[in-house]
Amino acid sequence: MTFREKTHWVSLVVIATAFGWYFFRLHTALPRGPGNIAASGGLLAVVTIGIILAMSIIIGVIAARSPREAHAAADERERAIHWRGTHYAYYPIVIGVWLCIGMIFAGYSMPTLLNTLLAVVVLAEMVRIGVQLYLYRRDG
Amino acid sequence: MALPFTNDIRTLRFLAGEMTQGDLGDRVGVTRQTIAAIEQGKYSPSLEVAFRIAHVFEKPLEAVFQWNDHKD
Repeated sequence: MTFREKTHWVSLVVIATAFGWYFFRLHTALPRGPGNIAASGGLLAVVTIGIILAMSIIIGVIAARSPREAHAAADERERAIHWRGTHYAYYPIVIGVWLCIGMIFAGYSMPTLLNTLLAVVVLAEMVRIGVQLYLYRRDG
Repeated sequence: MALPFTNDIRTLRFLAGEMTQGDLGDRVGVTRQTIAAIEQGKYSPSLEVAFRIAHVFEKPLEAVFQWNDHKD
């Protein structure tokens, strides 16, 4: 498996685990009502710091074990894979934005909107990484 | 979807002293995986990379890549 595939797997697993935990905690442990937005913010800060730390450490270790690959610039096939992944991630974002617009008119609360937007971003990111991993595997 | 052209990169590598995919990739400026994908017909390279590959083997482009008339 190449360095870029490994880093994509790390990103996928870390994001799925961190935000899986975030949404689980949000659903089971946080208070309902207006206070939820501050609690969501606190939990989100913890998750964000956790993601940055976990990815920095794990990817740093992988890069140290294959420094040549880690420092190599992406070639044309890898750039094409990157663009296609980003292209497919655009669809969940568009659908999610329209969903949120609908939720605003339907009178949903601020915390619900915040977490729906967050879920859309997480979903788009997972689609991007998933498509890129599929293309790396298919063409590799 | 299969590409409308084939290539002889594998044979040319063998004839060039059993050059590895990694060596060819280094000389062309792409990864070993990209050379493997081109060889297997899974990735269509840019014209620039196609010319660079032909240049490494000191062959004209059509000696490396052949258009398949049946897939027009």
